[in-house]
Amino acid sequence: MKKALAVELSDSTKFSGDRNMGEVFFKRFTFNQLVQHWVMIGSFMALVVTGMPVKFPDTWWSPVIIGLVGGFEMRTQIHHAAGITMVVLGVYHIVYHLFVDKEPLSERKVWPTIKDAKDFWQTIFFYLGKAEHPKFGRYSWKEKFDYWGAFWGMVMLCVTGLIMLFPFVAMNFIPYAYVHLATIIHTDEALLATLFIFIVHWWNVHYSPEVFPMSKAWITGNLSEEQMKHEHPLEYEEIMRQMAEKNEVANS
Amino acid sequence: MSFMSSLRTKKNYALITITALFLLITVASAQQDVSCYHCHTNVVEEFRNNIHYTMGFTCANCHGGSEESNTSVVSSNVMSGDFIGKPTRDKITNICSKCHAQETNDYKQSIHWDAITKGHPEAATCTDCHGIHEIRAISDNKSSSNHQNSPATCAKCHANSEIMSAWYYGIKADRMDTYKESFHWKALKNGYKVVATCADCHENHITKSHTDPASTTYPDNLPRTCGKEGCHPGVKFDAAIAAGLVHDKESLHTGDLVFNKSGLTPQMKAYYFGPFDLAYWIATFFKILTAGVIGAFTGMVILDCLSRFKLQKRW
Repeated sequence: MKKALAVELSDSTKFSGDRNMGEVFFKRFTFNQLVQHWVMIGSFMALVVTGMPVKFPDTWWSPVIIGLVGGFEMRTQIHHAAGITMVVLGVYHIVYHLFVDKEPLSERKVWPTIKDAKDFWQTIFFYLGKAEHPKFGRYSWKEKFDYWGAFWGMVMLCVTGLIMLFPFVAMNFIPYAYVHLATIIHTDEALLATLFIFIVHWWNVHYSPEVFPMSKAWITGNLSEEQMKHEHPLEYEEIMRQMAEKNEVANS
Repeated sequence: MSFMSSLRTKKNYALITITALFLLITVASAQQDVSCYHCHTNVVEEFRNNIHYTMGFTCANCHGGSEESNTSVVSSNVMSGDFIGKPTRDKITNICSKCHAQETNDYKQSIHWDAITKGHPEAATCTDCHGIHEIRAISDNKSSSNHQNSPATCAKCHANSEIMSAWYYGIKADRMDTYKESFHWKALKNGYKVVATCADCHENHITKSHTDPASTTYPDNLPRTCGKEGCHPGVKFDAAIAAGLVHDKESLHTGDLVFNKSGLTPQMKAYYFGPFDLAYWIATFFKILTAGVIGAFTGMVILDCLSRFKLQKRW
């Protein structure tokens, strides 16, 4: 019998379990984080589909997509609803991880480090066949770039999106010219985000031979032991070390 | 003798011709409820689409004269009496005002009428927007002066740099180009009609220059214009709408550094941060950022892909 055993990583002292019970899964994302990601996927895709036809109004596919989603008014309604969903998600994310999550800010593993810069160069040299593949910890430099890229994009898009949703409220505080600037920032940042997600993020989690057709971590929140050894070897070693220590303490 | 060969006899041939002629005349007569049709065929064809035609008006109602001509002397009676023929452009309002007094009164306060009285008869008058003989109801989708067709109608002159520069007051010819950058146009073009077109802001008949304090587009009046019932109600009267270009487009913003901004309009000045036109520099920043990030990471994806052919073992 195979029994799944999830290892809490963000709080590794909680770990208790027996490796002999079967295959070990490593907890990559909490259910909370999974739901945030699902909401993000849903709202992001709706926003891209309903937003791009307005960014490129003269293309042949612009009226086609607008027709498919049910006309221009429906397009606008969907875009607004999905946009507000994303704003709420962003606020929830910040509130949760600042005030509810008890892990001290300085100990979060998501901050960029010098090692990430070194890993970046080592990755390039690895691709050129001139170095070993860098060993990543809990988050690789790619994942951190993904996260902070999305973070920056969310701030840009949500702020400018709200200005565009309530332009005449915004004009009580800022001149009309800045509403135009908001449209420039909103659409250009949206294009950057879309290209990044569709090319880079999807390569990493969908198309790449290691995970094709997709990494199931976004559904289950877990990584297999094999995946942990390959993709996050430093974290894996750390967990194994802590486990061994714990067993020693328990046995003594 | 067969039927076909009997047709070929001269007598029968003449008979058939006469019958056909009668048929033709009958058909032609059906078209003849407007007596001017025989000579002014195209004009009358257009006039049949005219809302006035369906309401029972005739050529004489605008052109004067009498339509009680007999078919043999077509023109002699028509051109008698008060027949005015083709009115000069400055006289067109005289015809329309006979019934549309209020509209004419409004129009005569406009910059268009102002230009005509100053000796520029090319300026827009009734027929330029409503059509000459094919005047349709405003509610008609094909009307050139209804809500959704007004951009194209105004653009006939206002997107034509030759017409615009011909006049001494130098009107910008990019009003349609810049309107096309707006959300209003992008929605309108996709069939969402509850958005502003030209006349909603500039007024249809009392069209005035934005430099005229009585104009709906005069900077101080913009909050009230945008805040109209059905548009953006609740706009505060001191909203900073005038601090920016309502008619904006990318090419209006350049990377030229402007240190002395005294030559700029207040609308344009609002875009500047120091000597930098933010609309240009923010767009440039994003062009570089997007090209840089997507270029670098796409390159990495390609390298990653290629490396798999060389390196069997990755870990």
